[in-house]
Amino acid sequence: MKNLSMDDRLAVNRFDSDDHNSHIIVDKTACKTCPHRACTFSCPAERYKWDTVNDVLSFDHVGCLECGNCRLVCERLNQGIEGYSWNYPRHGKGIIFREG
Amino acid sequence: MSDEKFQVIIIGAGVAGSAAAYRLAKAGREVLVVDRGKAPGAKNMTGGRLYTYALKQLMPEEWQEAPLEREVTREIVMMMTPDSAVAVDSSFASMNRQSYTVLRAKLDAWMAAKAEEAGAMMVAGSTVDGLIVRDGKVCGVKIGEEELEADLVISAEGVNAIVAERAGVIKPVEVKNVAVGIKHVFRLPEATINDRFNAAPGQGTAMLCVGECTKGVSGGAFLYTNQDSISLGIVVDSLSWKNARLPIAEVAENIKQHPAIARYIQGGQLIEYSAHLIPEGGIKALPKLCADGFLLTGDAAGLVVNSGITVRGMDYAIMSGIAAADAANEAIEAGAYSAAALKGYETRLKHLVLKDLETFKNAHDYMVHTRHVFTTYPNLAAAMMKNMYTVDGSPAKRIAGVAKQTISGKLPYFDVIKDIVKGAGSL
Repeated sequence: MKNLSMDDRLAVNRFDSDDHNSHIIVDKTACKTCPHRACTFSCPAERYKWDTVNDVLSFDHVGCLECGNCRLVCERLNQGIEGYSWNYPRHGKGIIFREG
Repeated sequence: MSDEKFQVIIIGAGVAGSAAAYRLAKAGREVLVVDRGKAPGAKNMTGGRLYTYALKQLMPEEWQEAPLEREVTREIVMMMTPDSAVAVDSSFASMNRQSYTVLRAKLDAWMAAKAEEAGAMMVAGSTVDGLIVRDGKVCGVKIGEEELEADLVISAEGVNAIVAERAGVIKPVEVKNVAVGIKHVFRLPEATINDRFNAAPGQGTAMLCVGECTKGVSGGAFLYTNQDSISLGIVVDSLSWKNARLPIAEVAENIKQHPAIARYIQGGQLIEYSAHLIPEGGIKALPKLCADGFLLTGDAAGLVVNSGITVRGMDYAIMSGIAAADAANEAIEAGAYSAAALKGYETRLKHLVLKDLETFKNAHDYMVHTRHVFTTYPNLAAAMMKNMYTVDGSPAKRIAGVAKQTISGKLPYFDVIKDIVKGAGSL
């Protein structure tokens, strides 16, 4: 069986995405000072990527599986310091597992 | 609705929340369950397997209609290297319906419907984002601008218990006490699964693996056969993974290629890719289970035991839902909702759930700190089996000789003895 790209994996899921309001807020500029960047290798949906060309974090909340691992590996999200917050999407938005 | 006051509001329609709602509704209580998913189950995921005793206790008759996938009658534990595997494969004629593979979208929807049928009110698609707290007592929940009042609030909000955390009722969960699970569900014809797993219709396989599947990081892979699909994934210790700095999604994808796995899922069509956290801190990480007007159940309370062979959480969640409902009933009858009045909850949990957590209190630490289990031992096991089965015309050795030859220089005997002794005391 062929390995699938993350886009192909997420494409089989059902989402009702809130395209305009992200349930997770990160300060991408402030992230430059992060010593570990654990979000970039700990997110099961690869929503966090380090843009090496511009040397800045890129983050897309659409496609988030709402596991919460970023909230634990990132101290800033965990403590909810200025510029960082983690919430579940509201009004039933986000991932809709049909298997679970 | 904002003028209405409920006797009990439950946050989350997972198996803990719906179990509590079902039992309270049966007792004639006014119960509201609020779930953040489009429908109950839409936000939940399991490996997974449900041990049925808990469901039986909740619904002695109705549980037989529950949407369970396959009865697990074959158990495989496997150690993997990059290209080999050594497994212990146990088949049982009957397990007396002890455990079934399940899919949460179906199971949770069914349990929530049962609770509703019993008289509970279900509101899906609403995210509780705070608690109403007056003079230290929890008096209801906040959903955006809306406030809903209740005599008692039961949190069954799951592993990311942000409502309880933010209200200051419990301490935030720590990364060292959590594992992250990633799962693929592959659709395959029912008959193909029966053939591949040598299973009679309705019978299923549970497989747990250690070693290469997590690149030697504390954790493992799992495979469960559902009726017409296969659940395959990995679970890794979140903090160990953070320190290992490996690409988690790539490692989860690569297990599909392992020769010991690939043949089972061949031709399957990916129908879902999911991720979820698992609270594995056990009794040492146990939060306060009740506060004034408030009870904590299931994953939110960290009621999970991973013994290495059995992984349990949903059964404890249901049992905690039952215990919470019974404690709530007592409190309602007494008209007293203080933490002291709710103590009966913890007493009930002690008999089974907390006792098990206590028994396995060192299991999580053992797994995290015994790296040979995930690295050296799988390699040695595969090498030893290969050596034992090797016939190439050179002088044959007895088994002890092969073992000695395999292990020699690979790791200190002292480490092995230490791991065995510690393991015997922890698992």
